[in-house]
Amino acid sequence: MRLALPKPSWSWASLPALIVVWGLAASQVPAYVLPQPWAVVAEALRWLGNGSLGQHVGASLLRELAGYGAAAIAALILGVAGAVSLSFRKFAGPLIGLFMAVPPIAWAPLCMIVFGLGNLAIVVVIFIASVFPMTIAMQEGFLAIRSGHVRAARTLGARRWQLLRHVYLPASLPFLTASLRIGFGQAWRALVAAEMLGASQGIGWMVAMGGQIGNTTQVLLGIAIIGFTAWLAESLVFRRMERHYRTWHLNEGTYS
Amino acid sequence: MNLAPAGAMFLVDDIHYRYPGGQEVFRGLGLRARPGEFIAVLGPSGCGKTTLMNLLSGFLAPQTGSVTVNGQPVHPEMAALGYVFQSPHLFPWLSVLDNVRFGLRMAGQMDDAAQRSRALEFLTLVGLRDAVHKLPHELSGGMQQRVALARALVLEPKLLLLDEPFAALDAITRASMNEELLRLWARLGQTVVFITHDIEEAVFLADRVVVLDVAPAGIHSELTIDLPRPRCLRETRRLSAFGDYTDTLMARISTIVATASGPSPTAAQRISA
Ligand SMILES: Nc1ncnc2c1ncn2[C@@H]1O[C@H](COP(=O)(O)OP(=O)(O)OP(=O)(O)O)[C@@H](O)[C@H]1O
Ligand SMILES: [Mg+2]
Repeated sequence: MRLALPKPSWSWASLPALIVVWGLAASQVPAYVLPQPWAVVAEALRWLGNGSLGQHVGASLLRELAGYGAAAIAALILGVAGAVSLSFRKFAGPLIGLFMAVPPIAWAPLCMIVFGLGNLAIVVVIFIASVFPMTIAMQEGFLAIRSGHVRAARTLGARRWQLLRHVYLPASLPFLTASLRIGFGQAWRALVAAEMLGASQGIGWMVAMGGQIGNTTQVLLGIAIIGFTAWLAESLVFRRMERHYRTWHLNEGTYS
Repeated sequence: MNLAPAGAMFLVDDIHYRYPGGQEVFRGLGLRARPGEFIAVLGPSGCGKTTLMNLLSGFLAPQTGSVTVNGQPVHPEMAALGYVFQSPHLFPWLSVLDNVRFGLRMAGQMDDAAQRSRALEFLTLVGLRDAVHKLPHELSGGMQQRVALARALVLEPKLLLLDEPFAALDAITRASMNEELLRLWARLGQTVVFITHDIEEAVFLADRVVVLDVAPAGIHSELTIDLPRPRCLRETRRLSAFGDYTDTLMARISTIVATASGPSPTAAQRISA
C-alpha cells in the first residue's frame, strides 16, 4: 500500500472556518453565554492538569467498550443465526424492527430502575442501542456472500471448516468492519445521552453538570471531547480497516 | 514438468432428475466418456445444461441413477474433479497466485514453497506469468477466466467440467481461449465435458458432441467429430468436414427448437379430448 501525502482539499478548511465563526460570534456576546475557543482550550488544559479529564474520558470509554463489546458479540451470533436459518430470520425480523424504532435513550429510565443508578444501567442502554443495527448489517452481509465462491472452493477440495476459515471469514471482513463502525457510532450517542441522565462521572456527565451550574466553557469542552473521540475512532480505526478492503470490493460485481 | 496423460473413466448411468416441487429435467439420461475424451454438450437455452453440470459435479443428487468417476460416486470435493464455472468466481481477497494455490493449500500435502512453484508453473502455462501478484479485479475478463482454468488445472483433475466457461467473453478472446484449452488438454490429457450453446465451438473442440433435447427428454443425439488434431482456428474452420458437422448440428438443433415451440402437449391433449 502506498503512503502518499493527502492532497490539499476544501475539507481542510472546514474546521478552521468553524473556529473563526465561533470566535466572531463569541466576541459579540458575554463570555458566560459563549466563551472564546481559547477559553475552552485553557479549560481543557486545567482539567488535564488535575487529572480529572482523563478520569471522565476513561470512565466513558470503559462503559462504551463494555456495552459495545457485548453488543458486537451478540450481533455476530444473532447475525449468523439469521443468515443460516430462514425461520429465525422471519421470527427475529419484527422484533428487531420494533427495537430499532425506539430511540435507545427511551430505555434509560427503565434500565436505571431495574439495574440501579450506575454503570450497569448505562452499559445496558449502550448494548440496546448498538446490538440491533449491527445484527441487521451482519446478517445482510452473510446473506450476500456469493454462493459462487463457496461452490468454487468446494470443487477445489475445501471441507466444512476450511470453507469457514478460507471463504466465509475473508468474505465477511469488509462488512463486519462496516457494521462495527455503525454500531460504534450508535453506542457512542447512547452513552453520552445516558450519562447525562444518570451518572456521576463521564463526558456526558461533564456536559450535563456544566449546563446545570451555568458553566458554558465546561459544556463546550465536553462537546468537543465527544466529537473528537468519535472522530478519532472513526478515522484511526474504522476508516483504515475499510480502506483496506475497498480495493478488492470495487470491481467485484463485474466478473467474479 | 512431468505431465502424464491422466483421464478418468466417466459414467452417467440412467439419471432421473426433477427439481423439488416441479420441473422434471432429465428422464433417463446416460453418458459414458472414455479416459481422455473431449465431449461437448450442446443444447438450446433451458434444456437443462446447467442442471446437468450440477448433477455431473455432485452439487445436485439425481433421484435415481448415478454419476461415477473411475467407479467412485461423484461429489464436488473429490480430487479427481475439476470445475470451471461460467463466471470465474475468483476469490477477490487473494492475489492471482494465491487463487491458483488455493486448492493446494486445502489439500495441505505440499509445503508453501512447493505450492508456490506449482501454482507458478500453471500460471505460466496459461500465459499469466506476469500477473501473479495482481488482484483479480485488476485483470480483464479473459485473464480472470484463465486464472480460473489454472486454479482448477493445478490440482491435476482427471475429469474437467467446463460450464460455458468463455460465454461471457468477446468473440476474439473466446477463439484464442479455445485454442489454448485444446493445447492444455493435449498436454494434460484429462477427460473433458464442455457445455456450450455455440455449435462451432462444440465442433472445433470436441471428439464427440452430445445434443440435448428440451427438458425432460434427455439426450437427443450424438455426433462424432473426426477432425485431425492438433486443431487450430484458421486451418480447422476451412476444412469442408467442419462445415458439414456444423450444418448437421444446426439442422438437429432447429428440429429440437421447432418441435418444442410447436403445438404444446397440453394443447394437443385438449384437441384429442
Ligand atoms: N432451481 C430450480 N428450481 C426449479 N426449476 C429449475 C431450477 N433451475 C432450473 N430449473 C428449470 O429446469 C430447466 C433447465 O434449466 P437449466 O438452467 O438447467 O437450463 P440451461 O440449459 O442451463 O439454460 P440456459 O442455456 O438458458 O442457461 C428449465 O426449465 C428451468 O426452468
Ligand atoms: Mg445455464
